[in-house]
Amino acid sequence: MQSPPLTDPGVEKSRDPLWFKRAVFYEVLVRGFADSNGDGTGDLRGLTDKLDYLKWLGVDCLWLPPFYPSPLRDGGYDISDYTGVLPEFGTIDDFRRLLDATHERGMRVIIDFVMNHTSDAHPWFQESRKDPDGPYGDFYVWSDDNTRYPDARIIFVDTEPSNWTFDSVRKQYFWHRFFNHQPDLNFDSPGVQQATIDALRFWLDLGIDGFRLDAVPYLFVRDGTNGENLPETHDFLKRLRKEIDRDFPDRVMLCEANQWPADVVEYFGDPATGGDECHMAFHFPVMPRIFMAVRRSSRYPISDIMAQTPEIPKNCQWGIFLRNHDELTLEMVTHEERDYMWGEYATDPRMKANIGIRRRLAPLLDNDINQIELFTALLLSLPGSPVLYYGDEIGMGDNIWLGDRDGVRTPMQWTPDRNSGFSSCDPGRLYLPVNMDSIYGYQVTNVESQTRNTSSLLHWTRRMIEMRKQNPAFGMGTFTDIGGSNPCVLSFVREFGDDIVLCVNNLSRFPQPVELNLRQWEGAHPIELLGGAQFPAIGELPYLLTVAGHGFYWLRIPRRHQPTAEPAALAEALNTAHDQHTEASEVTE
Amino acid sequence: MIVREDLRPLVESWIASQRWFAGKGRAGAVDVEHFVDLSPDVAVWLARIDYEDGAGELYQVPLTVRDERQDNLEHALLGKIEIDGAWRWLYDALYVKDVTGVWLSAMRERRNDGGVHFACYGDPAALPVGQSSLVLTAEQSNTSLMYGDIAIMKVFRRLQPGVNPDIEIGIALNESGARHVPRLLGSLIADHDGESYALAMVQEFMTTATDGWELAKNSVRDLMAEADLHADEAGGDFAGEAHRLGIAVAEVHADLAIAFGVSPAVELSARAAAMHDRLDHALSVVPQLEPMASGLRKAYDDFADAGSDVQLQRIHGDLHLGQALRTSSRWVVIDFEGEPMAELAARGRPDSPLRDIAGMLRSFEYAGNHRIIEIGFQPQLAYRAAEWTQRNRDAFLDGYAEAAGHDPREHAVPLRAFEADKAVYEALYEARNRPDWLAIPLASLSRLALDATEARSALDVTDAPSAGTEDNR
Repeated sequence: MQSPPLTDPGVEKSRDPLWFKRAVFYEVLVRGFADSNGDGTGDLRGLTDKLDYLKWLGVDCLWLPPFYPSPLRDGGYDISDYTGVLPEFGTIDDFRRLLDATHERGMRVIIDFVMNHTSDAHPWFQESRKDPDGPYGDFYVWSDDNTRYPDARIIFVDTEPSNWTFDSVRKQYFWHRFFNHQPDLNFDSPGVQQATIDALRFWLDLGIDGFRLDAVPYLFVRDGTNGENLPETHDFLKRLRKEIDRDFPDRVMLCEANQWPADVVEYFGDPATGGDECHMAFHFPVMPRIFMAVRRSSRYPISDIMAQTPEIPKNCQWGIFLRNHDELTLEMVTHEERDYMWGEYATDPRMKANIGIRRRLAPLLDNDINQIELFTALLLSLPGSPVLYYGDEIGMGDNIWLGDRDGVRTPMQWTPDRNSGFSSCDPGRLYLPVNMDSIYGYQVTNVESQTRNTSSLLHWTRRMIEMRKQNPAFGMGTFTDIGGSNPCVLSFVREFGDDIVLCVNNLSRFPQPVELNLRQWEGAHPIELLGGAQFPAIGELPYLLTVAGHGFYWLRIPRRHQPTAEPAALAEALNTAHDQHTEASEVTE
Repeated sequence: MIVREDLRPLVESWIASQRWFAGKGRAGAVDVEHFVDLSPDVAVWLARIDYEDGAGELYQVPLTVRDERQDNLEHALLGKIEIDGAWRWLYDALYVKDVTGVWLSAMRERRNDGGVHFACYGDPAALPVGQSSLVLTAEQSNTSLMYGDIAIMKVFRRLQPGVNPDIEIGIALNESGARHVPRLLGSLIADHDGESYALAMVQEFMTTATDGWELAKNSVRDLMAEADLHADEAGGDFAGEAHRLGIAVAEVHADLAIAFGVSPAVELSARAAAMHDRLDHALSVVPQLEPMASGLRKAYDDFADAGSDVQLQRIHGDLHLGQALRTSSRWVVIDFEGEPMAELAARGRPDSPLRDIAGMLRSFEYAGNHRIIEIGFQPQLAYRAAEWTQRNRDAFLDGYAEAAGHDPREHAVPLRAFEADKAVYEALYEARNRPDWLAIPLASLSRLALDATEARSALDVTDAPSAGTEDNR
């Protein structure tokens, strides 16, 4: 096998400021992962107990959606206290223990932070409505009428008639870009800016590794604008970045700006500095493009968006995902005049139906293992750091009868036992019922059985993550679409220094041949990453590959005269490994 | 010095086996003549073929010599020749990578001497001097070299005097910044006997492209593999692409109209007469055309009578799905060489853009039905092939109408005539070369003939010919 790490660098958390470019992220709902106290709801201690599983899987960083005190009218994104923990989930001490345990395992944690708005139950709002002249009087955006900022669109058009709602206490209208129980904070107020920074510092002092910043485009609003992506918003994010960098050098800001890549790139800041705003931003259009490409058996939906994706500053990274807890935002991404995909979506009922609603990956792909593997391979090989969604690594299903928010938030399926091993409570007490259908139900689809079966999706995913980590090109490398003779096959090269990986993906369900122009590597023998098989030498003529339906290859292209590792060091490492093996054998005997 | 008489027999035996040589199987005499030296290593010779029927053709043969026989160049070897008293090995220079750089470097220098004109358009740095070349294998009538994956050089094998339309259009559309054609980077033109001959042109290479024919076939295969989905339900639906292709073709036409101007539709009866002539000729080879001949003649006559209010302009001339490349971001149309059968001088003549549209519509017909040719007729497949074809023809025309501001379907009579004319040519070609495929143009022609008959009846009921009326030409 090529370039294995001779020592495991993960045991001690390294201080690599670019760690996020190589990391595999895992979104885990505290509520849904593991219940330690038998009350039917997952909690921080339960999650802490399961860290070894995530370490085994190869996860580098957990992303926790909000676990703050909240009335829970918007999945916890309606925060009523920025520096607390929802009592059902545990305490600050529990969180500290989770953080320490994660760091001990060489993993990291980032948490959601909602800057744009609070819950109307937040004490700041309660004070602000009662006392316009008090210290919190200007914390929100108040107005005597509801006509200001007419150019700001309404985001939740189904539920909100206006961005303004009348408050009967203060007798004024307050501004909200989302639900009317989520008043927008007034970032023109120095008090709000300072309070936000204080809250972030609270978590940074605890040792948190970064934040996913929710809904950042809307922080500021100005007359005559649509209230999105304003310069003032960028200035404030830059200020945050400076504050964080000064005292906490390897923490990341991951921005959620559901915008076109050409606009999102602004959130990375100044390229000349390598990026001085957010370290990471989600690349939203990738996900629907992968679905469309496979549906059309055509590489163009993906090639097109990659061609349209601008360069990002050198110390920045995209975050990409196939599924997450809440992605019903495609209309925003695809309703773009300049985007040809809009036309394709609008005319394809199946695409609209399937992509628009919240489904998990496996049911979306009819539980077709080849497609699940192809999608995962793309997630792990396209530019950006992959974000997995809990349960997708075992092909968990969803429960469409729970409604679109909860259907993908059912308890993690650990074992075939009661409550899928998630909780010891009475089944009726679970926050949501576990999946029990005949395909995705916990009796068949669970971590325990897939751990025992080495050909399971879980083991496969783990191996793929491992391959990704052995090849820095995936996290750090350039991306080059190399076209090829067959439009069903997406082929690209990731390159970082000597690490060159050719990824060939058959988007069609039928076997396909493809001829690739690989002349620049003439003479090299590609090596298949998973099995290590050596492929025929690349010649001058187009390189012919045949790929099974929905199949893919990751081929490493070795430099022809690659210097091997220092033989003496390698010999020593091999002997160390041998000694360890011998010791282990002695223990078992 | 290569002695002409020594070279002649080598070229004579070699040229007959080259793919681009059009005179296979025809008796004729071959002579050679030195044309120009591009570098100390590359000499371009001319091969003149005089056929016994009086026709003649001129080919260019770029040559290079080696002291030793080259193992890796056997496919490009013409033979052994005595030069200045020593035996040397003679090769087709286009395959010899260490000499092919001269074309690009001379273009970059804009070298211009002895009647040999190397031209460079735009930024000279866009010519990838130093990249190694590779002859593409797909080309039939010319020889194309890819330099790195940046530029492609088309070397015109058969030479004809006059302006090469592909170069002429490339220069004009370069200047107008057209989006849907590749950029022209350079050209090589040489004078000979008072005439000017285009020898080569270099364009940007569309790295991530595949041609529309491959894409369309992929869509059809996907549909045919389904049990019972309609064309608009299948995952591999092509209508979105067809629509965008329609837009691209309309924009290319608009760019050509701006660059070369437009003129009123003239000589319609002469054009219709030429269509009749081609049908006559086809009938002599393809007797299966007989039942539809009268309908087709009506289509041509309608065209001559009704006229066309579509203005004439420069067009592509040989447009089909294989001439359209889907790149990552857009459709690009290539090979503006005009109608391949026509003489060079006739190719630049203004023509109706409806001819290009008809060509593309024919191509959709072929794509839709290609699986039936491969796997045999089944009523279910035929139904779905028709559905796919209709859906994508409509989408293409919708896209064209959207961008052009007028719907080609408003010009049903000329469009039908152009389609029929093209399908008659196809029938002739298929009967000679691919009899299995003959069913596709025949089915279309039968439908077009019926359309023409019915259209005439609707137009003028009293004048409608009775069924079975003989040729009413």
